[in-house]
Amino acid sequence: MLPNDVTHVHLLLNHVPTVGTMIGLGLFVMSFVRRSDHLRHISLEVLFLIALATLPAYVSGLAAQAQVTGRPDVSASAIVAHHDRAMMSFMLIDIVGFVAWLGLWQYRRLGRTASWVSPLILIMGVLTFVVVSNAATVGGEIRHPEIKLDESAITPGGMFAAKTVQEFVTTNPWVWPTAETLHFLGLSLLFGVLFAVNLRLMGGLRAIPFAALHRLLPWAMLGFAVNLVTGMLFTIAAADQYINNPPFHWKIALMMVAGANLLYLTVYDKLWELKSGEEAGLLDRAMAMSSVAVWIGVIYAGRMLPFLGNAF
Amino acid sequence: MMNLFTWLEGSSMSVWVREAPTIWAFATIITLHTFGMGVLVGASSVINLRLLGFGRSIALGPLSTLYRVFWGGFWLNLVTGSVLFCADATSRGTQWLFFCKMAFVITGVFLTVRLRREVYGENAEPTAVSGTARQLALVSFAVWVLATTSGRLLAYVQ
Repeated sequence: MLPNDVTHVHLLLNHVPTVGTMIGLGLFVMSFVRRSDHLRHISLEVLFLIALATLPAYVSGLAAQAQVTGRPDVSASAIVAHHDRAMMSFMLIDIVGFVAWLGLWQYRRLGRTASWVSPLILIMGVLTFVVVSNAATVGGEIRHPEIKLDESAITPGGMFAAKTVQEFVTTNPWVWPTAETLHFLGLSLLFGVLFAVNLRLMGGLRAIPFAALHRLLPWAMLGFAVNLVTGMLFTIAAADQYINNPPFHWKIALMMVAGANLLYLTVYDKLWELKSGEEAGLLDRAMAMSSVAVWIGVIYAGRMLPFLGNAF
Repeated sequence: MMNLFTWLEGSSMSVWVREAPTIWAFATIITLHTFGMGVLVGASSVINLRLLGFGRSIALGPLSTLYRVFWGGFWLNLVTGSVLFCADATSRGTQWLFFCKMAFVITGVFLTVRLRREVYGENAEPTAVSGTARQLALVSFAVWVLATTSGRLLAYVQ
C-alpha cells in the first residue's frame, strides 16, 4: 500500500537522512582504508543522492508537524525541538551533498578531487551525523512516550530554530521579494546551463565536445543551490501554503528526478567521451529530452503554485 | 495615453486574461513568460560566461546556436509580455518600475546584438575574445540581472 497522505510519506522517508548519512559517510571512510578511488566515487554519489532525498523527508515533516501539532497525545515541545534539529540536519546534509557533487565534478575533469574536498566532507559529515541522529532521537519522542527521554533533552534549537527563520522572513518585508528575485535568477542560470548541456546531447551544439560544456555544470549547481536556499525560506516561513499543495508535491518529486539527472550528466563516462561532432546514443538523447522536460515541469509546477494551489 | 491604456485594459482579450476562471488565461500566460525568461536569460548567461572565460574549451563558433534559443525566449516574452501589459495597462503604464524594466530589456537586447557583432562580426568561427567583448559580456550579464530583478519586483511594488 502506498502512503496516502504526506504525513505517511514522512514516516516512510524519515530514516533516509540518518541511515543514509551513516552509509554514505561509512563508504567514504572505507574508501580511504581500502585506498579505493572507485569506492570513494560511489560514496560521493551516495552522499549526493541522500542530500536529494532529504528534501522530501524534510518538507513532508512540515506537513506532519501541521497535522499532529495540538493533539493531546503528542508532545508539542518535542515537535518543535525535532523540527529545529531537522532543519539544521537538512542544511548540513545538503552542504555535504553539494561538496560531494563538486568532488565528483572534479574527479570527472581532473581524475582527482581538490585537496580540501575530502577533509571537508569528513568533518561536515561527522557533524551532520551528530545533528541528524539527535534530530531522529528527539523525533522519536513525538509519538513514542514509552521510551521517554529526559525532558531536558527536548529543547528548542536556540538560534538554529525554525522559528528564527520564520521570524526573519515574516518580520522583514524585504526578504520575500528579494528571495523571489534570487529564485528567478537561480532558475535562469540553472535552466540555461542545463539546457545548453542537454541540447548538446540532443544534437544541437554537436560540434562542441561534451567535456567542454561539462565545465559549466557548477554554474547550474550554483543556481540550484540559490534556489534551494530561497525555496526553503518560503517553505519554512509559510509552510501552510505548500504542504498540502499538489503542484508543490509535483515540484519536489520532479526535482528528485532532475537532480538525479544532473548527477548522470556529471559522472557518466559515455557522455564525457563524446568528441566534437559525435552523436549521443539514443538512450542519452532520450535522457536529455526528459531532463529538459522535467525541468520545464519543475518551473511549471513552481510558477503555478498560486493558481493550481494556494500559495501567493 | 491614458485613454489608450484604458481602452487596452477594457478590451475583451484583457478582460479574458484577467478574469477568465481558467488556468489557461493569466496563470498560463505568466508561466510562459517565466519560462521565456529562463530561456532568454539562461542562453544569454551561458554565452556571457563563456566570453568571460569560463569553459574556454567551448568553441565559439557552434555556441552561436544559442542566439536562436535567446531569440526564441525573446519573442515568446514579447508576445506574453504584451498580453500581460494590456491586461493591466493603466497600472503598468504608470508604474516607474515597469519603465525601468523596459529600459533594462531594451538595453539588454541592444547589448546582446552589439556583443554578437563584436564576437562574430568578422569571423563565424572566432578563437579569441577581445577585451571589448569581455566588458560587453559583463555589462550584458548585469543588465539581464537587473531586467529580471525589476520584472520580479513588479509583483511587490506599486
